[in-house]
Amino acid sequence: MSRVITQEVARGLYKATRTAHVDADVAASFKVGDAIQARNVNPTGHTRLPRYIRGKQGVVAADHGIFQFADSLAHGGGKQPQHLYSVKFTAQELWGADAPAQDSLYIDLWDDYLEKMA
Amino acid sequence: MNGIHDLGGMHGLGPIVREENEPTFHDEWEGKALALARIGLAGGHFNLDEFRHAMEKIPPVEYLSISYYERWLEGTIAMLVEKGVLDAGEIEARMKDLS
Repeated sequence: MSRVITQEVARGLYKATRTAHVDADVAASFKVGDAIQARNVNPTGHTRLPRYIRGKQGVVAADHGIFQFADSLAHGGGKQPQHLYSVKFTAQELWGADAPAQDSLYIDLWDDYLEKMA
Repeated sequence: MNGIHDLGGMHGLGPIVREENEPTFHDEWEGKALALARIGLAGGHFNLDEFRHAMEKIPPVEYLSISYYERWLEGTIAMLVEKGVLDAGEIEARMKDLS
């Protein structure tokens, strides 16, 4: 059985609004201003936590709200809705003392990627 | 996955070359590759995160030697086979027909 995708159907598919935002009630583990550390993990599956961030210390700059979790959805898991934050890391934290002191990087990270500073 | 896609902080990859008036597609097949992936996604055959992971699993040497939309095409093929939409034999047979 084949589904025929006409031009009209394709246009509809393109226009359909899709969002990774989830309308759910999930508690945030962190709030803006919290000092955090990115977990040092090495999952063999899909993750949106790059290696250069793992184990580094930063500060929660914004809470985007609740979003479905890519690491789970990539492997047939559920949405595991959780807070997604913009987290600020200084360039010197990421790349060492030679990095420009005024530079920093903001990266969106899910709740599961973070832990409170010890 | 600690794969070749996670390039942040790596050296030796050469300068970033900016193309003036870069076209949306450099060849017609690139648009078709994009459309095929988008239709597979929109049709619910696979999701975006599965698709991204399929591209991450392209062997490192191949990943670095193929173009952006070749990765899209490889990822789409891998997904369509994994999800049982097509089988690898069908794709090979069609490629033989076209060559």
